[in-house]
Amino acid sequence: MANKGWDEFEIGAMLRSFDGSIDDIAGTAQVDRTYSPSSSYTASVADWRLVKPVFNKDYCIDCQFCWIYCPDVSIIARDKKMIGVDMDHCKGCGICVEVCPTNPKSLLMFPEQAEEEAEIASWPAKDEEK
Amino acid sequence: MSEMKKIKNLKEFSTSADRFEGANLLCPGCAHSIIVREVLNATNDDLVLSATTGCLEVCTAVYPYTSWDASWIHIGFENGSTAVAGAEAMYKALKNKGRLKQPDRNPKFVSFAGDGASYDIGFQWISGCMERGHNMMHVVLDNEVYANTGGQRSSSTPIGASATTSPAGRVSYGEKKNKKDMVSIMASHNIPYSAQVSPNKWKDMVKKIQHGMAVEGPVFINAVSPCTTEWKFDPKDTMMLADLATDSLVFPLYEIIDGHELNITYRPKNVVPVEEYLAAQGRFKHLFKDEYKHLIKEWQERVDANWSYLQRREEARV
Repeated sequence: MANKGWDEFEIGAMLRSFDGSIDDIAGTAQVDRTYSPSSSYTASVADWRLVKPVFNKDYCIDCQFCWIYCPDVSIIARDKKMIGVDMDHCKGCGICVEVCPTNPKSLLMFPEQAEEEAEIASWPAKDEEK
Repeated sequence: MSEMKKIKNLKEFSTSADRFEGANLLCPGCAHSIIVREVLNATNDDLVLSATTGCLEVCTAVYPYTSWDASWIHIGFENGSTAVAGAEAMYKALKNKGRLKQPDRNPKFVSFAGDGASYDIGFQWISGCMERGHNMMHVVLDNEVYANTGGQRSSSTPIGASATTSPAGRVSYGEKKNKKDMVSIMASHNIPYSAQVSPNKWKDMVKKIQHGMAVEGPVFINAVSPCTTEWKFDPKDTMMLADLATDSLVFPLYEIIDGHELNITYRPKNVVPVEEYLAAQGRFKHLFKDEYKHLIKEWQERVDANWSYLQRREEARV
C-alpha cells in the first residue's frame, strides 16, 4: 500500500499489519514477520532522539529489566540474551539506563553524535561507593 | 481452554514476541506502552483489542500506520469497551452455531482506555459490559488527567494536583476533589475479578492479567501510568515514579475476587512517605509552599486510612 496524504483518508479505514497471513503471531519473532508498509514497525522515530543509549555487553548480566521496561520495544532480546538496541524505534527516554542494575551500568546515554566504539573504549569504571 | 503461558522469570518472559510495535508517537518515557506490552505478552492466545480515544489511540493509530499486530478497533471516546463486548458476543454466537473457521482457538478480548474514557466518559458503557457479564477484560491506563487534549482534570485527578482546568495559583491549590475508587465501584458489579496493577511490578501484573484472562466473565484492571508530560518529571524517571506510587501506598496493589474477596498482593518492605511521591512531580510543586503544607499531611492521612481500610477488608473478606 502506498502511503497516502492526510486529505486522502478513507472512511472506515482498515490497516493490515502484515503482508499475507501469519498464523501464529505470538510464536513468530519480529524479525521473521512480513510487516506491511502500514505497520509502524517499518517507520522510524530515530530523529526524536537527542541522546542515545550505548550498550556495553561486557557488563550485561541479561537480567532483561531493560527489555520489560522499554516503552518502545527497542531492546532486542534473543534466546534470553540482550543483544542490542533497535535504533530505529528508540526515542532516547533513558529508562533502560535507569533500571540497569549492574555496576558500572551496561547501558549509558551519550549524545546522538557520539562514536559508539570510542565510548565503549572509555567506559566508566566501577563505582565503589555503591 | 487454551494453556496458560508459563512465565517463571524475566528471562523466560523476554522470549515473548511483541505484538505491539515501536515507532508509535507516544512521548518518550510513556508508561502506557510498558503496560500494554506487559498485558499483551502475558498470553500467547489470539487477541481482539480496542482502544478508546486517548493518548494510546491517537499515538498508535496515526494514519497510515498502525502499531498493533492483532485485531484492533477504535470507534469513539466512550465505547471501546462495548466494541470489544460486541465482538465477544459475535464470537460466542458464531461458536454456538458452529460457524467458526477455527473453533479450537481461544481469543482473548481486551479493551484499553485511559482514565478519562473510563472514569468519566465511558463509565456507563463499562458498567453495562460488567453487568452483562461479557467474557472480556477492561484495562484502564490511569494517568489521572486528560493528557491527550492538554491536561484537563478528570475524575481520577487527585487532590492538590495542578491541571489546566484546575490550575494552582494564588487563590487555589489545584484540584479540590479526590479521585473515585474505580476498582471498588467495578467490584461492586460482582464481577469475577478486578485488580489494581503497576508496570514496575511486572510479575504481579502478569499474574493478575493471566488470572483475569483465565476466569469466565468480565474483568476490570486499573493500571497506574505515570505521565511524564502532565505529572511533569523527567522521561527517564517513569519507573522511579511507579516505584514511589506503589511503595508510598498511593497506589496499593490488590485484587478483588467475586466482588468480596480482597487480597493485597504487594506489601512494601519500606513504606515511603507520601511527601516523596509528591515531591517527585511538578504538578504538586505548589504544595510545598508554606500556605499549602497542611495538604501534604492530609494526603498522608488519607493514604494511611485507605491502607488500613484495605487491610481490614482483606481480613473481613467483605
